[in-house]
Amino acid sequence: MSAVTAPAAPAPPARSARRRSLRDLLPFDPWHLVLAPLALAFALPLIWLFVSSFMSDAQINRFPPTILPDSLHVTGYDFVIGHALFPRWFLNSTLVSLVTVTSNLVLCSLAAYAFARMRFRGSNVVFGLMMATLVVPFQLTMIPTFLLMKSLGLIDSLGALMVPGLVSAFGIFLLRQFFVSLPRELEEAARIDGCSRLGVLVKVVLPLAKPALTTLAVLTFLTTWNDLTWPLIAISSDHNYTLQLGLTSFQGQHHKEWAAIMAGDVITSVPVLVAFLLAQRTFIQSLTSSAIKG
Amino acid sequence: MPATVASATTSSAPAPSWRRRLFGEHPSAWAFILPSTVLVLGMNLIPMGWAFLLSFKASDLVTPGHWVGMANYRALGHDPNFRSAVGHTLLYSALYVPLSVGGGLAVASMLNRRIRFVGIYRTAIFVPFIMSAAAEGVLFSFVLDPQYGVANSAMHGLGIARQGFLQDPAQALYVLVGIGLWGGLGFCVIVFLAALQDIPKELMEAAAIDGARRWVVFRKIVLPALRPVLIFLLVWQTLDALQLFDLVYATTQGGPLGATTVVVYYVYEQAFQFFHAGYGSAVAYVLALAMFAVGLLRLLGGRVQRWRRERALAPGGAR
Amino acid sequence: MRRWLIIAALLCTAIVAAGCGGGSDNGGTSANGVVTLKFWPGQNDIPKQALDTLVARFNATHPHIHISSDSGGVLADEMLTKVTAALASGSYPDIAYIYGSDLANLARSSKVLDLTDTVNRPSFGWNEFWPAERQAATVDGKVRAIPALTDNLAVIYNPKLFDQAGLPYPKADWTWDDYRAIARKLTNAATGTFGAAWPGAGGEDTTWRLWPMLWQQGGDILAPDGKKAAFDSPQGVGALTLVNQMATVDKSIYVDPDPNSEHMQQLFVNGKLGMLIGGPWSLPDMVAAHEKYGVVQMPGYNGDHTTIAGPDNWVIFDNGGARTQAAITFVTWLTDPAQDVVWDRATQSLPLRRTTLASPAYKAYAKTIVGMDLFAKNLVNARARPTIGTYPQISHAVGEAIVGSLLGRTKPADGLKQAEQSANSALSGAPY
Repeated sequence: MSAVTAPAAPAPPARSARRRSLRDLLPFDPWHLVLAPLALAFALPLIWLFVSSFMSDAQINRFPPTILPDSLHVTGYDFVIGHALFPRWFLNSTLVSLVTVTSNLVLCSLAAYAFARMRFRGSNVVFGLMMATLVVPFQLTMIPTFLLMKSLGLIDSLGALMVPGLVSAFGIFLLRQFFVSLPRELEEAARIDGCSRLGVLVKVVLPLAKPALTTLAVLTFLTTWNDLTWPLIAISSDHNYTLQLGLTSFQGQHHKEWAAIMAGDVITSVPVLVAFLLAQRTFIQSLTSSAIKG
Repeated sequence: MPATVASATTSSAPAPSWRRRLFGEHPSAWAFILPSTVLVLGMNLIPMGWAFLLSFKASDLVTPGHWVGMANYRALGHDPNFRSAVGHTLLYSALYVPLSVGGGLAVASMLNRRIRFVGIYRTAIFVPFIMSAAAEGVLFSFVLDPQYGVANSAMHGLGIARQGFLQDPAQALYVLVGIGLWGGLGFCVIVFLAALQDIPKELMEAAAIDGARRWVVFRKIVLPALRPVLIFLLVWQTLDALQLFDLVYATTQGGPLGATTVVVYYVYEQAFQFFHAGYGSAVAYVLALAMFAVGLLRLLGGRVQRWRRERALAPGGAR
Repeated sequence: MRRWLIIAALLCTAIVAAGCGGGSDNGGTSANGVVTLKFWPGQNDIPKQALDTLVARFNATHPHIHISSDSGGVLADEMLTKVTAALASGSYPDIAYIYGSDLANLARSSKVLDLTDTVNRPSFGWNEFWPAERQAATVDGKVRAIPALTDNLAVIYNPKLFDQAGLPYPKADWTWDDYRAIARKLTNAATGTFGAAWPGAGGEDTTWRLWPMLWQQGGDILAPDGKKAAFDSPQGVGALTLVNQMATVDKSIYVDPDPNSEHMQQLFVNGKLGMLIGGPWSLPDMVAAHEKYGVVQMPGYNGDHTTIAGPDNWVIFDNGGARTQAAITFVTWLTDPAQDVVWDRATQSLPLRRTTLASPAYKAYAKTIVGMDLFAKNLVNARARPTIGTYPQISHAVGEAIVGSLLGRTKPADGLKQAEQSANSALSGAPY
């Protein structure tokens, strides 16, 4: 594991001696003792959800609940996926989320870079105003937002779902925070070479900002994908539902289709999981440019 | 584009263009922020203004409502339910924020090593983050059912007495903190992990060779490198905690006996269940003003710090 | 640079395209005189299918009216929020399904049609509707809605558990003391079985079960003038004390933490609950699970077995003369016995009109589900909650008192006193 170890170092002998013995005692790294139970604690409820999605309605309804399905019932999945509009809902959710993510990445980068690196009159005021928009809860602003969307003629269309989320003040905050922490030398070098401001942003800064950009992308995707309240208010026609909204149609006033609900929860989680797994590669293994350090 | 390059590099241009005079040093800056500004301010300031005006009315949202001036705000001062809502919100935040950020850092440090299965551990800890609050509510109401939930059966097996969990007014809020952490820790872990892996290994190794102890390395190298990420997470988690709603709606609906009524849930209750939208708006604005004040304080604190630092570095200043 | 421009262009196109994909056929009158109506029934699953069939039948037999097929994208649970937003924006449906407890507040809007004259026409048959329904559709003396769905509460019991405990099945004239004794005998901590259950989430489902116990003793929720609360009375305290004793001393009540009261329902289906106070909606799950069950009216005080009904309403909104007339025609047709039976069968609810109850079609249906008959006959015995705008606050206050008693945290008398204070404060117009 430790390819790069310190040479016979003057490390405090007592501690490492104790450590060496623990490591020697176990056939595996002692950190597994902490991480494994932790990971299990986090994963267990979800495993239960996944397993339950393969139970029949009657089995799920068993109270006290059973842990394992007696056989694989895909009725829940059939019900959800077999619904005529399911592909449409999936497409709607995907479209809205992708547009929102792209728009945020583009517009937030531009604005955050301006706030981070450019001095212009009113920059603090505008930034402050943007941050101020984060403090009022959505429950209050949803009705006037609805009225606003109505005046734009967007109600009951995917546009109503996209437009309010095209830029997030929080995304600007996040990226600005990150840009400010980057050393200026690279950017200045590029400017001296004759690069325009936009060029510096695109060619120098953004490649370094992959972790922040990925964070923003994942967060935005997640918030948009899981959103239920706003689509509920803004959309009226079946074919414009998002996936989350469509899934609520399995919950009756007095009767819930549990198998379908569980299957639905699993299905809605899968794309985000996939997105995260893909993003992990940029997230975790981002390399720093060695041009700056050293 | 060539025009901007020209204007940017000619620092000795004879007279500043009208553009420069109007927009300051970087005329292109406004182009950068214009679409975002229009969207954010347009989509938010108008609704916020509408809600602000609403807080001065007695309105049920269904009829026009009439102006009552400061009556709603004055009533807030006497409302015991509002006071407990604020208390619950503060308690939740005081627990959730440090635990999620501190816990996130701790777990990220643990995961920042090459051991087998680390990818699986990472994924397992992050996956709860992607669940929607509604799904979490369903899940945990089953797991934590006082009579038949798996949690109590497990505790029974370990010889611990049955707990009320979400049904016990004394425990409910803490249980919500737990569920919130279950869902939110993974995000902090991932962000910290990315930042930790950005710290060049040479630095850490050099410090180890020099004989520096773990804790010193942490304080002097790791923490400063994590500062931007730390600030970001603190702000994000605080905003999240102060605006808690979805989880309460999906599990306890403010109960039992009002033990989990947080401010935003109280706003929802007032506006959409009791038809006192004006009052609910006043509640929301008090919360907003408080958050704003905190943000302002932090800003001022940052300014003071910077001012002090500049003074210290100025020629002739004491060090 | 070009890459960004392309991305920006794609983005704009996507947004514009999405914006154009909006809006379904809005209500209105077309050139050839066909009136299109927007109908938000808030249903899904089987009830929705039944409504679709009925709507198709109506559209076919009424060529000048067309009910649009888009149902508004919202279920009954969220209907209030959506309708509120719709009213605020000036673009609202023609007909919506509104919970009984929400009508009083919505009715403050002038866009909610006043149907008093309509229902008083002899051809409408207003008196065929049950008293509780008529009350639940009337706000401030004016009829502001037409009943959509009605139900009431009775006791559903598990005969197997009774047999195991050696108890005779409950009789129609049983008292609350009988109920308590039976519950105690049916509770078995070792097997995790309970004799009775009560929703513990503090919402309306927690509260409305107390009212029949109050009414049966001659008490009431509000004073006759409707300006003060009256439930903090010896009758109220007596009723709540019984519940408190059962929960804390006998430990025979399962307190359901689920806001939708699903757990106690499932408990019953799985044979772990002896008696469930429920409505006709509870029966399909048991039929599907092939569980034997019996239905008996609620216990009573002094021979009074008044029960409670929770009717929901069709609210008609004012979108102009042609549309309101068409909407009234549709809703009247919907509540006629022929359609009512289809609706009742799909929603597991009770007949809206006396004439429906007497119709052969309904009688045939009622025979297929054990106990449906009893619920239906009990409608004469059912009372409704007061239709006032502050009812949600009163319900919330009393709900807390009940939960406090169920958990043993507050004494029934103290809880009710505090609830009455909150209720009076709400009735006088304070926000809390």
